[in-house]
Amino acid sequence: MIKKLIDESMAKSPWVFHINAGSCNGCDIELVAVLTPRYDAERLGFKLAGTPRHADIVVVSGPVTAQSKDRVLRTIAQVPDPKVIVTLGSCPCSGNVFKGSYSVVGPLDKYVPVDVSIAGCAPKPEAIIDGLALAAQIIKEKREKQ
Amino acid sequence: MSLPFIREAMTQLFSKPSTEAYPAEPKDAFPNYRGRISFDADKCIDCGMCERVCAGGAITKKVEETPEGKRITRMFSLDSCTFCACCADFCSRHAITLTSDYHMVARKSKDLLTAGTYVKKAPAKPAAAKVITPVRDNLKPAVGNGIVAQDGGQ
Repeated sequence: MIKKLIDESMAKSPWVFHINAGSCNGCDIELVAVLTPRYDAERLGFKLAGTPRHADIVVVSGPVTAQSKDRVLRTIAQVPDPKVIVTLGSCPCSGNVFKGSYSVVGPLDKYVPVDVSIAGCAPKPEAIIDGLALAAQIIKEKREKQ
Repeated sequence: MSLPFIREAMTQLFSKPSTEAYPAEPKDAFPNYRGRISFDADKCIDCGMCERVCAGGAITKKVEETPEGKRITRMFSLDSCTFCACCADFCSRHAITLTSDYHMVARKSKDLLTAGTYVKKAPAKPAAAKVITPVRDNLKPAVGNGIVAQDGGQ
């Protein structure tokens, strides 16, 4: 019974952890805009977690650079299962204009399974809310399977 | 006793919240927003200009040989697009437009693909080898016409 209560409560408050994997900062600004009063994703339960160990959803922005690859993978490994990995913007899912660069080792789905990809350069805050809502739905499905 | 900002506080108390009610109320993008690409395959002439100007390398094409001609599929992968609209600007036939649809969320990258297919027919082959007429005879009236037109214009 307590497990059911925990599951229902956790479905309503998926916590987000944001990793910048060499992003140009455009997507980061849009994500911060989503979490601040104008779009206020916190009214939907999303909260920016301070540490990956508290997070349910990992949001990665930026083409994965050679310098950031190890750190990104180590941080994602610290997120407890079940987790959902969301790519923010075009860079993490393809490399975008940085593809072919000597310092870019992306895209991210070479290393970890990506659940949701939000396209846009940078995506509109409403699109990010759509993506986070889809991620929350996926994490609910994953918890039910466990 | 003075109450500073009492008027401001009262107006804020009874005004609508500044937070957007987005998932509850749909919201349109602002005018000229560059969102999901739409491609009109019938207008395309396969000049390849969009592919040349694309910074992210998002535009690719696939060619299949069929009896009625080349079957060309042009693909716009929106997951490596910067939405700069260079392809739409350089398209001489206005086959590419960027719509105001910003809901581009997908579980697979296949869902973020805009594609259009059309058949490019080869020009009809000439029936028989023609006798080439001397060019000089054809040129003369053309030059004459040009001079007449110039005089008329002045």
